[in-house]
Amino acid sequence: MSFGFMIGVFGVLILAHAAYSTIQYRSLLKILEEEFSGLPMNVVGELLLGLVFCMWAALTVPGKFLSILPYSEENRIVSLPDNLDFMVFNHRGKVFPSKMDLKLKR
Amino acid sequence: MVGHEDSGASKKKSTDSSNDLPTFNAENLQNNTKIIYYSRTFLSIIGGVIAGILGYTGLTGFVFYFLIMAITSLGLAAKAKFSIHSYFDCWNRLLLDGFLGGLLSYVLFWTFAYDIVHIF
Repeated sequence: MSFGFMIGVFGVLILAHAAYSTIQYRSLLKILEEEFSGLPMNVVGELLLGLVFCMWAALTVPGKFLSILPYSEENRIVSLPDNLDFMVFNHRGKVFPSKMDLKLKR
Repeated sequence: MVGHEDSGASKKKSTDSSNDLPTFNAENLQNNTKIIYYSRTFLSIIGGVIAGILGYTGLTGFVFYFLIMAITSLGLAAKAKFSIHSYFDCWNRLLLDGFLGGLLSYVLFWTFAYDIVHIF
């Protein structure tokens, strides 16, 4: 598994731990018979940390953005055909100086 | 051996000639849109769980959803290194596509987490 996926799993585990501590906090409030006004600060911090990890995972795991420009380097549309049947060399182009910068598409 | 070596990514889609970007690689655009969809769906679910744990009810929860989606848009724009036109055809596709699509998943996981944490 990739590193981003591990970060995402870790973020979900942090959220689960925060949920569990919130459940314990609620039952503590029920025992003390107090109102539920807000969460303790460490649970809120834990939720924020889990959110940061999950957000990082959500932005990196699905994949990279690919360029849509037709002229960028990885979108080369023209490629030298590399089948042997069409590789003839005794044609009219032999009178021209050869271009050395044509590249094979990998 | 007459296999003509031509990768499938070279399908073009042309808009009318008055635009300054007449063609773009449609398969890569579709890939980018899929990435946005996955990211937004996952973060809608995570945001729902967080809103449920925090105990938000009513309007505050929906405000939290829009906050999460706004942060996601910012994160996606940062992922595209803010040069949108080399990855998408317009800004709206990055910022608004799938914005409301995750709302139902968000509400589902919000109520689910709220029930688990605060009611049972």
